[in-house]
Amino acid sequence: MKGLAGQDERILRSHCRICHGGCGVLVYVKEGRVVKIEGDPQCPISRGTLCPKGIASLQLVYHPDRLLYPLKRKGPKGGGQWERISWEEAYDLLVSKINEYKNGYGAESIVLGYGTGRDNEAFIYRFANLLGTPNVLTAGHMCYGPRVSTSIITCGNLPVCDYEGNPKCIMVWGNNAIISNPDEYKGLYLSDALAKGAKLIVVDPRFTKLADRSDLWLQLRPGTDVALALGMLHVIMEEELYDKEFVSNWIYGWNEFVDRVKEYPPWRVSEITWVPEEKIREAARLFAKAKPACIQWGVAIEQSINCVDNNRSLIALAAVTGNLDVPGGMVFYVPPPVMNASQFGLHQLLPPEQRKKRLGREVFKLADAFAIINPRFVWEAILYEKPYPVKMVFLISSNPVMTRANASMVYEALKKVAFLVVSDFFLTPTAEMADLVLPSATWLEMDYVAEIWKRHGFALARQKVIQVGECKSDHEMLLELGNRLGQKEHWWPTLREALNAILAPSGLTFEAFLEIGHLQGKMEYRKYLKKGFSTPTRKVELYSTRMKEWGYDPLPKFREPPESPISRPDLVKDYPYILITGMRPTAFFHSEHRQIPWLRELLPEPLVEIHPETAEKEGIKEGDWVVIESPRGRCYQRAKLTLGIDPRVIGAQHAWWFPEKEAPEHGWKESNINLLTDNDPSTCDPAMGATNLRVLMCRVSPKKE
Amino acid sequence: MKRREDFVTKKLALLIDEDLCWGCDACELACKQENHLSEGSRWIQVRTKGVQRVNGKLKLVYSPARCLQCSHPPCQEVCPVDAITQRPDGIVLIDYNGCIGCKKCIEACPFGVMQFNQEKGVAEKCHLCYHRIDQGLKPACVDVCIGRCIYFGEMTELVNRYGERRWLSGRNGNEKRTSL
Repeated sequence: MKGLAGQDERILRSHCRICHGGCGVLVYVKEGRVVKIEGDPQCPISRGTLCPKGIASLQLVYHPDRLLYPLKRKGPKGGGQWERISWEEAYDLLVSKINEYKNGYGAESIVLGYGTGRDNEAFIYRFANLLGTPNVLTAGHMCYGPRVSTSIITCGNLPVCDYEGNPKCIMVWGNNAIISNPDEYKGLYLSDALAKGAKLIVVDPRFTKLADRSDLWLQLRPGTDVALALGMLHVIMEEELYDKEFVSNWIYGWNEFVDRVKEYPPWRVSEITWVPEEKIREAARLFAKAKPACIQWGVAIEQSINCVDNNRSLIALAAVTGNLDVPGGMVFYVPPPVMNASQFGLHQLLPPEQRKKRLGREVFKLADAFAIINPRFVWEAILYEKPYPVKMVFLISSNPVMTRANASMVYEALKKVAFLVVSDFFLTPTAEMADLVLPSATWLEMDYVAEIWKRHGFALARQKVIQVGECKSDHEMLLELGNRLGQKEHWWPTLREALNAILAPSGLTFEAFLEIGHLQGKMEYRKYLKKGFSTPTRKVELYSTRMKEWGYDPLPKFREPPESPISRPDLVKDYPYILITGMRPTAFFHSEHRQIPWLRELLPEPLVEIHPETAEKEGIKEGDWVVIESPRGRCYQRAKLTLGIDPRVIGAQHAWWFPEKEAPEHGWKESNINLLTDNDPSTCDPAMGATNLRVLMCRVSPKKE
Repeated sequence: MKRREDFVTKKLALLIDEDLCWGCDACELACKQENHLSEGSRWIQVRTKGVQRVNGKLKLVYSPARCLQCSHPPCQEVCPVDAITQRPDGIVLIDYNGCIGCKKCIEACPFGVMQFNQEKGVAEKCHLCYHRIDQGLKPACVDVCIGRCIYFGEMTELVNRYGERRWLSGRNGNEKRTSL
């Protein structure tokens, strides 16, 4: 093995999970302590590289503020007073509360929840389904879930850039894949593909390093992605740049789709998107003519009222240019021979009468079909007990006070809910309001068959390297709790046996799996030639039969963002700028890591990007604290003046709290951009319920002391 | 007295292709971990002037700053207690036991890359992870880089392999940005 093992040092191989995970690592352990974390050169995903967060896991595990044992609230809710209890007491309390609410109000009154998830999704869904609650509160309505669900109804599976197949052109759409995890593959693959000479188109309202490296940068008006994609499709049709054979054999609803696209001529799209007509044409030609080509997409386009149609129009771009499931295009990876997260989740065991009680299911039908809910309905069920009361919220790796829209409402709801349990690493602003806090294990403290929810073709071996305090992995905790709640027949006595069951189709035990390090499905391209696409019509449904069934527009279209200078001219006087909230720093993963010294040093304070002209107009200087205000609230971030943003747009960071500031608030109201966002269902994607976090109206001014 | 050029027989260096640097800071954290750096001490630090307008086009360049192991180290010249020495392979070392924390070297460094360790009260800087290279490994920052833009080796060899190409052409625009 690479590396320099010191005296008495052991090197263990595992897979990082400081973000959405998947990078192979070598962990150096000395006398039961992790002393170093390095990239594993043998890992096919990260090939020896590792990001700052992965390395800083060292400071996460041994952080002095880490939760080391279960805590029970003492004194008033949110009063910052805690009593240490044993795991035995914690389990007893959980069992009694769960039974109390299940018997008194129905299992649906108990909401399970996770944020972006710490690879615990499969266990959480299994637990919830066995408990009989249809309510699992995730980020799935606005992050990754839409990509998966939209892809499944449109082309049967999630298409992913096949970097190893040497794409000639990569279109990066609202995704800074280099510094934030693009879920299936890491930025390394994109970087390598560019080094090999792939052309690059970047669609982003901000000038990122990717934009700097690009052949074409399309700086669009935030929230108009679907119009831009349909405009490019218009050019592709007009100039007959599409793959005629693929279109005639494999597209369902081509004529209807063409009619829809005709509504988006480049001149009109240019007016909508601010992108010059010639650039739209140029991008369309470059993408359509380079074969193979792929689209690297991400969460940015999903946190929008146009969520599903953004995804559908990008799938359409890949499909009509003949880039689906071909080498170097957008492919459907073949899963490895293990149980996947969805199978493990036992969705079929949720009783149909309970499924019918899923919050918001009548409103957001695509989300419901994928067991996903919109958070607003949970907050309302707590606050107004409609359509029924939610009594218990059990959050496992989630900090919604920082990361969900309308933070004030989230805070009120969590303050009111009868019993709040939080499993996490630290007392976050959310955990501070809990009745019971569980100390969660980090990736260095758990065994798992990792990343089996991703559609990247891998299962990765994560191994427990150390034990810290009394911390337990969420998997182990849920397995134990499930057993105690009478779900025994569907669980295993030990986590090790559960992992062996996940691995059973491969014939491996967990021990043997650790030796190998990972399993990969054997890739096959153009699988549709044999069996078509996994959709009702066996074709790529650019006209979606499922969407039609649910009563939605079967074709993608552009909706003006609910709060923009065009949809709300009445607000322009008071809120003259468009606010975007997606700027991702390299140091943090959503609300995490601000207490880690090495990472905080990289970015000590929240930054808001402002064009110098705008700053001058508003009397703001570089480094000033700025008040950012929307019609709903305000927060403060430091001004970073940059030419890389349109003068009409303000770019803020999200999820900022200050662990070092006084408990229990930890300054959660100071820089929290979600005090400005809206979660009204009418502003969400009509089918998926994706929250519009990304496009608001705002004003900015220097903060007065 | 022997001239220093004769003394330095083989100069080891990190060559960084700034055109390819993504600004992800991984090198900085790899360095901090490897060398157990305290807060505030950044032996390699990704710096940027932010988005600039160059010949009418926007540019964004990241520059990982670190000790360049100068042939005639100004830091060494000003050190009042001779705590800074140079190895035959060019690596400039600080003797932490000898260093009195006067910060003269920090002022003398033309690249602003010398660091001060508040806890120990001594000057610090990149030493190319000499403890690793003496064992045949590369400095900690090299392999962690996803831009694969950090090269380590003997300087003339590196310049032959990577330097000239960049210096002559410049990938984006015509600036000479590769730094040694």
